[in-house]
Amino acid sequence: MTVAATPAAPARPRKPRPSRVLILGLAAVAAITVWAGWEIDFTLGPLFENFSNGWVVVEQFLHPNWSYLGNAWTAWLETISIAIVASFFGVAVGLVFAYMASRVTNRSTPLYRATKWFLAVLRSLPDVAYVLIFVALVGVGSLAGILALFIFNIGIAAKLTAETIDAVDQGPLEAADASGAGTFARARWAVQPQILPNFLSYALYIFELNIRSSVVIGYAGGGGIGQLIQVQFARFNFENVSAIVISMFVVVLLIDQLSQHLRRRLV
Amino acid sequence: MSAASTASETRTVRPEEPGKARATIGAIVLVALVLAGGYLSNADWGKLPDMFTEGGKYFVLMLKGVVQNPFSEPYSEYWTTALGGMLESISMAWIGTMIGAVLSIPMGFLAARNVSHPVVVQVTRVILNAIRTLPELVFAIILLLPIFGFGPNAGALALGVGAVGTLGKLTAEALEGIDPGPVEAARAAGAPGSAILRWTYWSQVLPEVLAFWLYRFEINIRASAILGIIGAGGIGSVLSQAFRYREWDFIGILLCVIIVVTVLVDAVSGAVRHRIIAGSGVSEAKVEQDGATL
Repeated sequence: MTVAATPAAPARPRKPRPSRVLILGLAAVAAITVWAGWEIDFTLGPLFENFSNGWVVVEQFLHPNWSYLGNAWTAWLETISIAIVASFFGVAVGLVFAYMASRVTNRSTPLYRATKWFLAVLRSLPDVAYVLIFVALVGVGSLAGILALFIFNIGIAAKLTAETIDAVDQGPLEAADASGAGTFARARWAVQPQILPNFLSYALYIFELNIRSSVVIGYAGGGGIGQLIQVQFARFNFENVSAIVISMFVVVLLIDQLSQHLRRRLV
Repeated sequence: MSAASTASETRTVRPEEPGKARATIGAIVLVALVLAGGYLSNADWGKLPDMFTEGGKYFVLMLKGVVQNPFSEPYSEYWTTALGGMLESISMAWIGTMIGAVLSIPMGFLAARNVSHPVVVQVTRVILNAIRTLPELVFAIILLLPIFGFGPNAGALALGVGAVGTLGKLTAEALEGIDPGPVEAARAAGAPGSAILRWTYWSQVLPEVLAFWLYRFEINIRASAILGIIGAGGIGSVLSQAFRYREWDFIGILLCVIIVVTVLVDAVSGAVRHRIIAGSGVSEAKVEQDGATL
């Protein structure tokens, strides 16, 4: 009796059924994962079977040969020099491409489309492909590393800067148009002052990226610290490799801090 | 007297130009750094003209490889090898992204200030930063080659470990940026901790986190090519082999495959990312309509 008096709790709303897109998406992801795992024979077995093999090497890594760092510092100087030269020229050329890859500054549609395509192609190749190409062209050494990073940086700098140019404040542009400025004057005086802080911060970011990719560059024959790692690794001097890796850790952290400090002042 | 002189002045005085000293000093330092870098890098600048003379020659050779009939020997074999290598690279990138994504979920929650204890947050962030500092190649060299040997399996694991660093950090940042309202509502309704994490935190960040994963997949495709040069398989291994034997027509085909496939994958993944972030929109309405008519 009393039960009937109390109002019945409102029926709980029914849980919506999962949408078909979701189910199809999950099935596709699962299928791709299984297929990809089969394609590369994915297994975690060696982690347990060969752990003792690996441990011998890891143990050597735990005892870095600090005295080797005396030899490593010239290679570090080379790596940092490569990064400075490549990012300076890459970013400078990238700026020109950025102006061509934004509708704000480039009023010719065919040129805009062509630039966009060219940059997409430039960015689709990994840095190691550029190093291999330039090693074939100018021989093993830091010149190949500089040229490869230079080309690689153009793509990134142009993409990031073009996106900033797209979002620029229209006011100065209208003022420039009203006073009859040409394409170049417009880009130089209405756009460049607005994007300069961001552009400089991208330049620092690209410099950081170049330091990080130094291992790859050296491995493929582009000079610098990576070459040292490759040589020492090929001779199984794991204690030396370990010391270099730790020094890399320190250098990357220091450069990150420096560049973060500079960027905070810029933006 | 002074009043008369200001009255006669019809034009306002032009403001003085701001000083350029800082910009000039900055430019001089930069140029000095670049010159020093050019000298200290030990680059053989004399070889620079080679780039243009040799470059043109090799470019023509590469182009010749691409425009040959792809069904004739040995070009059909080149194309098959190139596509097979690229497929292996993409598989490596996908598995690496999956490993990184799965591991980054707990790491992200542990590194989010509004979820975990401050001490746990600090420790997790140090680990994530350490992972982000070192390139994948270093993980591959140190940890994986001795245990897993050369091959795509080791490559996928290296990509996975590398991905944890960035994905964990981005997930933590997304979690810190959520709307606290639903969390409070769930807590007030007496939801257990696991339910709060699943239905208020995770539901809010899921679209953003999925977009990060896809973005990481795009990055990993490029990174897997890099791992190829130390023998982790995929298109990178094929490419470095081709360069060793200077088979320029084969190199042309390989570069062509890399460019086309990467641009395609980027386009698809970019479209999916846009759909996830921007929400359903027109396409979802159409799906519902189809469902209603069925």
